[in-house]
Amino acid sequence: MLETIIELLKEAGTDGWEVTDTRTQGWEFYFIRHQLDQNRVRNVEHINVSVYKKFDSFLGKASTEIPVTASREEAVDLIGKLCAEALLVKNPVYTLNMPAEISAETQTMPDVRAIAKDFLNVMNELPESGTADINSYELFISAKEVRFMNSNGIDVTSVYPSSMAEVVVNARNEKHEIELYRLYHSGSCDKEGLKQEISETLKYGADRLSAQNTPNLGSCDVVFSTDASLQIYEFFIDRMNTGMKYRQLSSWELGKPVAEDVKGDRITVKALRSLANSSSNSAYDAEGAPVRDLVLINDGTAEHWWGSRQFSQYMGVEDSFIPGNFAAEGGTRSAEELRQGTFLEIVEFSDFQVETMTGAIAGEIRLGYYHNNGTVTVVTGGSVSGTMMDFMKEMYMSREQKQYNNMLVPAVTRLKGVSITGAAD
Amino acid sequence: MKAAFSDYLNTIAPAVKELIELLGNHYDYVSVLSTDSVGFSAMISQRAKSVSNSTMFTERGNVVRVQKNGLYSEYAFNEFDTGNVRALAEEIRVALNAQLDLLAETGAEIYATDVLPDEPAQVFAEMETGTMPEDTDLQKLVEELSAISDEAVHSCEIAVDCMVRGQSTHVSKMFLTKNRDMRQSYVYSEGMIAPIVMKNGKNEMSYASVSGRRGPELFAGLRDKLAEAVKAAEEVIDAEPIVPGEYEIITSPEVSGLIAHEAFGHGVEMDMFVKNRALGKEYIGRRVGSDLVTMHEGALCVEEVASYAFDDEGTPAGDTVEIKNGILQTGVCDALSALRLGTKPTGNGKRQSFENKVYTRMTNTVFDSGTDTLEDMIASVKYGYLLEGMKSGMEDPKHWGIQCIVERGLEIRDGKLTGKVVAPIVMTGYVPDLLGSITMASTDREVFGSGACGKGHKEWVKVSDGGPYLKAKARLG
Repeated sequence: MLETIIELLKEAGTDGWEVTDTRTQGWEFYFIRHQLDQNRVRNVEHINVSVYKKFDSFLGKASTEIPVTASREEAVDLIGKLCAEALLVKNPVYTLNMPAEISAETQTMPDVRAIAKDFLNVMNELPESGTADINSYELFISAKEVRFMNSNGIDVTSVYPSSMAEVVVNARNEKHEIELYRLYHSGSCDKEGLKQEISETLKYGADRLSAQNTPNLGSCDVVFSTDASLQIYEFFIDRMNTGMKYRQLSSWELGKPVAEDVKGDRITVKALRSLANSSSNSAYDAEGAPVRDLVLINDGTAEHWWGSRQFSQYMGVEDSFIPGNFAAEGGTRSAEELRQGTFLEIVEFSDFQVETMTGAIAGEIRLGYYHNNGTVTVVTGGSVSGTMMDFMKEMYMSREQKQYNNMLVPAVTRLKGVSITGAAD
Repeated sequence: MKAAFSDYLNTIAPAVKELIELLGNHYDYVSVLSTDSVGFSAMISQRAKSVSNSTMFTERGNVVRVQKNGLYSEYAFNEFDTGNVRALAEEIRVALNAQLDLLAETGAEIYATDVLPDEPAQVFAEMETGTMPEDTDLQKLVEELSAISDEAVHSCEIAVDCMVRGQSTHVSKMFLTKNRDMRQSYVYSEGMIAPIVMKNGKNEMSYASVSGRRGPELFAGLRDKLAEAVKAAEEVIDAEPIVPGEYEIITSPEVSGLIAHEAFGHGVEMDMFVKNRALGKEYIGRRVGSDLVTMHEGALCVEEVASYAFDDEGTPAGDTVEIKNGILQTGVCDALSALRLGTKPTGNGKRQSFENKVYTRMTNTVFDSGTDTLEDMIASVKYGYLLEGMKSGMEDPKHWGIQCIVERGLEIRDGKLTGKVVAPIVMTGYVPDLLGSITMASTDREVFGSGACGKGHKEWVKVSDGGPYLKAKARLG
């Protein structure tokens, strides 16, 4: 089907086209406790097509997926529709990516069976006990082959593994049973890392059994030491996106500090070409641009935008790309130093969110540790709120870093003066 | 007009039946769900526009479900050579057997489940719609959406942009087994207006939406939502943070729907009962809310985006009364979970796409109306907030915690709206306490279906939810 689509696109009278052909071989396993609930295989191919048409001073684009089972007539019809629909889209002119020479890498199709075996073995080697164990888990392992082509002659292929493990942990005492939820993403299976993460979650589960209602703390420093911290760093990354800036949703300016009157650590954020065992190590982005290392925010000052070809060109950035991996550098203090004084360390939220546009943070506390004058109280319930626009003025990041799939971030992040609503009066 | 069933699915049906017959020689149960859903999405803003012939739920593909020796296995594929079905059947067997070899090697035990019943059923449902997505004049629609965006920006001094989206999906699904031939086709549409305002270097956004199991004719209602969306954005930009605490609240129908969805939607999805992950299992027949709380869940209980004739396992759609006058009656259930729990499926077995597993999922989840007026409800509040605008929510069925992020709260003091607005708001609490505190419910009711629902943090499906204005007590932060 792919060859037919390319042939039809060349004949369609477009002013540009892009095709992404993604083939996925996926293995999935679903367990209740340690019993197999279901096994699944995915063997699919998706061909996504974009057509560009120039008219007046505009460049219009229309997209669709053309089913791999489409007949030639169906494909002709779909491409014809795209050509007509592109003329409805009045966007300022921009150009598609051109072929770029980068050092060739040897790519081999990932061994789905071997990765699956690693996951299955890890799940059988966890330190479960009578008080904390695994309720259920779902394993998703896939090998992806992504080929990108455009009318400028780009024809590049990336092959990589992509995995996900959803794990639900239970802990119980004579009174009740609780659960904690985790979703891990990676390239292949990081056996030791996954074992360590789930072991830590089992410990948190046991702690939650003794949790008390979070008190009304009013304003309190909050320490983030789990994947919730990713939301904080994604706030910085997303506000450096050319699409956000072009649409006036980010007020940051290159060469200027992202926050004034900063008393805490100044943030440095980079885009990275690759990160060990990330599921986003493709050498090219979704539009065929080569991916490279790039400093986005340097010591608190906005340095480079990143983003799609369209919005980057509108912003005057010619060599931009959509990175797959990011890193936030550590600060000046150790994780231990950041855990001094009075603070609330929250290790489990219902759903912690940071709004990119406004900076508003919100999340219900499922498990936290309130440290006050040397005493530690395990707490649950209540919520955090406030805005990153204030918090980034006094934010501290540990020297130590921790990797979550495609993000390398400080292992511990401390925000000052977060509003805490308690779970009880 | 009727939403016409997919020609493509009709064409492949004989080959699918042949595949079922061939696999039936090796497995105790075989079903195939085939999908062919098309649609479009148009997104307009002042600075960027896009048109696509895909939506989040357009797809074409097949998933085979088989059972042998108590184990259910699935194979999802979209390349289909209908001239060589025998080779496909063999490919499926080889692929699934390769997994079983690995499972045997790693010592996996099987969660044995009986064979699903396969009573004969014939369904051919082409549901009513005004217009079809395929026939839509996209040029006219883009012009209309652009005009709405323009009008929003011109009507508000501090508006910097206004995103307007219209998307429509024509779903065709075919569920075949040895004894069942079920085919359905329907259209649902969703429209959204999201004005973005800027003041003193600060951005805020609000939104209003329309949705329904209808065609693109639904977007004509978007313009009526414009003033409401712009006013909400203007209110939010000047809002103050709320002083955390417990308040009397009145939830708008949209926020009531969010509560229904998070509190007793996810809380009674019975695949969670199988895993012992939901407290609701122990509360059937017990009080979980005040007498004013009656809640329905099902594809048949309203006509909205999740209203279908049968679910992704071939179970007919239902209308389940989950809570009646505050007493938890039952949950909703997919077919496999029903077998495991010894109960009947309710028509709630849904997949994100043909590539994804079936889980018990919500369809339309709604509170029943009451007898009060909004005016009387506001007049009854000493100090509290009228909560409007739904941002997001998160379920916690194991502990009945609830997290709802609400766009704004309109202050009420001594029975009157003061004009003061607080935002954003995180509403948390213990579900039975929240539902137990409901003391008034309005006569009117609205249902909203412009969003998607995840299970945990994945598996997105279309749902709708709603209810009347409800008066309750809740912790706000």
